[in-house]
Amino acid sequence: MTASSNTAVPARAHVPAPRRPAAGRVKPPIARRISVRTVPYLLLAPAVLALLGLLGYPVVSVFIYSFQNLGPRQINLHLTEWVGFANYQEIFGDPDFWTITGRTLAFTAGAVTGIMLAGLGCAQLMKHTNRVVRTILQITLLLAWAMPIVAVTTVFQFIFDQNYGILNKTLVKLGFSGFANFDWFTTSFSTLTIIAIIIIWQGVPFAAFTLYAGLVAVPGDLYEAVSIDGANAVQSFWSVTWPGIKSIFMLTMFLEVLWDFKVFTQVWVIRQGGPDGGSITLSIQQYLKGIAGNHYGVAAAVSVVMIVLLAIITAQYIRMLVRSQEADFA
Amino acid sequence: MRTRKKPLVTTIAVIVALFFLFPTYWMVSTAFTPSGDITTSKYDIVPLALTVKNFVTAVGKQGFGFYVRNSLFVTLSALLFAMITGLLASIPLARLRFRGRKGFMLLILVAQLAPFEALLVPYYLFLRNFKLDTSLTGLVLIYFVSTLPFTVWTLRGFINGIPEDLEQAAMVDGCSRWTAFWRVTFPLLGPGLVATSVYAFITAWNEYLYAFVILQDQSKYTLPVWLASFSTNFGTDWGGSMAASALFTVPVLVFFLIVQRNLVAGITAGAVKG
Repeated sequence: MTASSNTAVPARAHVPAPRRPAAGRVKPPIARRISVRTVPYLLLAPAVLALLGLLGYPVVSVFIYSFQNLGPRQINLHLTEWVGFANYQEIFGDPDFWTITGRTLAFTAGAVTGIMLAGLGCAQLMKHTNRVVRTILQITLLLAWAMPIVAVTTVFQFIFDQNYGILNKTLVKLGFSGFANFDWFTTSFSTLTIIAIIIIWQGVPFAAFTLYAGLVAVPGDLYEAVSIDGANAVQSFWSVTWPGIKSIFMLTMFLEVLWDFKVFTQVWVIRQGGPDGGSITLSIQQYLKGIAGNHYGVAAAVSVVMIVLLAIITAQYIRMLVRSQEADFA
Repeated sequence: MRTRKKPLVTTIAVIVALFFLFPTYWMVSTAFTPSGDITTSKYDIVPLALTVKNFVTAVGKQGFGFYVRNSLFVTLSALLFAMITGLLASIPLARLRFRGRKGFMLLILVAQLAPFEALLVPYYLFLRNFKLDTSLTGLVLIYFVSTLPFTVWTLRGFINGIPEDLEQAAMVDGCSRWTAFWRVTFPLLGPGLVATSVYAFITAWNEYLYAFVILQDQSKYTLPVWLASFSTNFGTDWGGSMAASALFTVPVLVFFLIVQRNLVAGITAGAVKG
């Protein structure tokens, strides 16, 4: 207890140890202690400043813009015209907006459901098959995961191509001659379905590997125990597997919701929102209104709607993440 | 029961594997197929003849060299900034105890999930305002800040994985705190630095939305924008389009396979799409 203050520092404390124990000084000078205290903040400063300036500022701005009448004229003349909630009234009063929002939600739900179910299926396959087949499956999943989004989208465009696409050729070969020169992109539903297939194809590997990691962590003797009790496959899934993977499943699902809700590239590259606006989602809409249509205020209001919806999901996700990794985060 | 189920599981697994392999196979196979064979009604799931002409077409397209250079410049600059800034920030978050640490961690985590796709309007207007919409600098800034949170978070994880006792041992031997980190932990961080920069590289290399929105000048296009316009402008030249896609994919694939072992751990801990 009476030892000098710097030898009382516990071995694992995160305080710099004295440089030379024999230097004679019991305490470093005040100036040095202050500088030691500022070290973490100095190291964090570049990152924090970058995030505040390049991310925080745009976020604040998009909220501000959404209350302004902002077009090329206002920008060129540096005018600030406050319009209150007019932009919101405009988008909420537009029936198209509700169609687009509903479509975006349905699209997200479809893509996420597809990814999670197929991902869980692939994870189960990895777990239950032999080593050779598992390795093959994992390699093909990795290839799918690694493909750049634009490249994937281009390949799928070719596969679904009206004239030379392999899908139509295959269907004709199988005897469905009606599919010769069949155009898969004539309806909103089929276009969005194809976009969802692209997203699912590329999203499944991440979900599958994550869930596989969860599955192999479930203790095997639990399965033995329930099978002795006479449980069938479905019962053992719900009583052993699901409780074991529930938290990683939910975390993955929330991430997928966050990612798929705001997806732009696949939707845009496939048909630029077509046919006839039938595949416009919220992120396409903010582009069309803002960048293409020069109604920056209205587009900002659409962005704010997206941000608010995403913020709700993000908050849930972070709460779950912090709870599941409490020790790591603290 | 178990033994009877196995062949079925194997069959399904092989079918699933083929489903995931097919688009990649189809890209590569079409890229080597003579364009005359592609635009016929012939059924050619295996190419009947091979050619490299499609690659010649793709590389020979006007401006290809520029687009490669633009992509490399944007990606590598953003990567460099993000790695330096990220490493600096990850050290205190992993190793030091200080007031507000949890708050900073939360900031990084929230930033990592930030909806960059919903910030189209402010970024576009800022860059126009600062006359950066005609240069690649704006894109570098956006890619830097969008890869930064992930870089911090992942590097912090890698530093945490290196036992601090090693540093303490060095400090007992007379190293200062900083020398101990630099001489002991940093060299061990090599794989972590490689993995993290690969993620950042892939993210920036693949990015389409901002490159498409912000680069008004065609000579400043990056490869994804060029690739997407390739299939729009040369609709029927699927061979060239697939060859271009394959060329674009190769660096990603190589890097991806280098770090795939760390992928799941890194991404679930860090929560960013690969």
